[in-house]
Amino acid sequence: MFQNKINDDKQMKKKLPFIPDTMLADIIHADYQLIPVIGRFGIEFGFGNKTVKEVCHEKGINVLFVLDIINSYHDDDYFPKERLQQYPASLIIDYLSRTHNYYLSDKVPEIQDYIAEMELNVSLNNLKNIKLLDKFFADYIKELSRHLNYEDDVIFPYIKDLESSLNMKFVSNALIKKIKKEPIDQFEKNHDNIEVKLSDLKNLIIKFLPPVLCASTCQKLLIELFRLESDINNHSRIEEKVLIQKVKQLEKEILKQGETTT
Amino acid sequence: MLFTNNIIKSLGIKTMLSVIGFKYEIFDIDNYIELKDLLLEHAEKLHLIVSDELCNEDDLTEIQKIVLNSPILVFSDSQSGWVNGIFYVSLKNSQREILSKIDYFFQKDSTKKQENSIISEREKDILTQVALGLSNKEIAEKLFISINTVITHRKNITEKLGIKTIAGLTIYAILNNYINPENGNL
Repeated sequence: MFQNKINDDKQMKKKLPFIPDTMLADIIHADYQLIPVIGRFGIEFGFGNKTVKEVCHEKGINVLFVLDIINSYHDDDYFPKERLQQYPASLIIDYLSRTHNYYLSDKVPEIQDYIAEMELNVSLNNLKNIKLLDKFFADYIKELSRHLNYEDDVIFPYIKDLESSLNMKFVSNALIKKIKKEPIDQFEKNHDNIEVKLSDLKNLIIKFLPPVLCASTCQKLLIELFRLESDINNHSRIEEKVLIQKVKQLEKEILKQGETTT
Repeated sequence: MLFTNNIIKSLGIKTMLSVIGFKYEIFDIDNYIELKDLLLEHAEKLHLIVSDELCNEDDLTEIQKIVLNSPILVFSDSQSGWVNGIFYVSLKNSQREILSKIDYFFQKDSTKKQENSIISEREKDILTQVALGLSNKEIAEKLFISINTVITHRKNITEKLGIKTIAGLTIYAILNNYINPENGNL
């Protein structure tokens, strides 16, 4: 009996990836971690028994892109990077920007709230320890915001420029200069790892923080740190393995076009 | 065990206890006689929390005799701290003070130094210097070891603690009192 159950679960997994005809509600039941990902596409609840295809059509969203993102988020081994690179850069960027916004406007304040709640509900002995974690996280937020804002304000507009120039078949000299001077390779080299400090914070809490009075708040904090970290991991993978690689292609094409026109 | 006949206090104390995550049995009783009867039945219970409108000091002395070694915590309008083997918590205290005192009473939120054998003494020396903001080269010179040795130690420290960044290691060093927060490279 029990064995059957395990086989059923395996069978369920084999049904993956999710396809356009999968009911959206089934996807959420299969993996509730996808809730924020689906939300990022502007899809709201109340979709009844509609399939992914139907919901996306109504909203005017690219079904295949949504599915590739959802499937790769759901299953680490599923990562069709070549196919992902075929989507317009603006579409990928739009998703990544929404994700940035989700981190800074939703996740970070949520985690800050838990830390603040802990500061109110620990003994005096432990207060100084929580304050240390608070400081550590505050520094992390600065680093994270700088990282994300730089991408939003500098890198993403540059990529959109590349794509629209190619689409309009008009390449400005300024853009060519920029590609030669600051190609995406430079950004790739400096693209720092923004997950590592989160992992440190998790271990500080799990392994070394003396037990606190407000155990349940501490548990919630830890769960949110895990969620944020795994979300950022997935996000970085799309940036590094999909977007940056695509941009390299775009840069090459533009330089080639530039040569033939001049 | 929690004894009180005041609904506000009862709810307040229950909330405090649930914040700590402490399991308790609650008895709503009106007077000291009832309390004494209940105690005779449940004398083996470990912690006892009483609100002081139920009994005067003489009554408490008698309760102590009944419950023998069980610690007693009394929420009081007037007293505070240990008095004659009874731990008083003043109702005038702030939330944090009350939490800290209940916590102290139950010895749960212990910040007592844990046996810390995760990293060796030598690794502790290296970690302290890292947290103080020294570079590998500076640490090597200061401790009379080669840079490679410093790097090996740092690798082992990071592996054992699961902490990779200097900021994270600094927090660890402060948590364990290897350095003062003021000196930390935060």
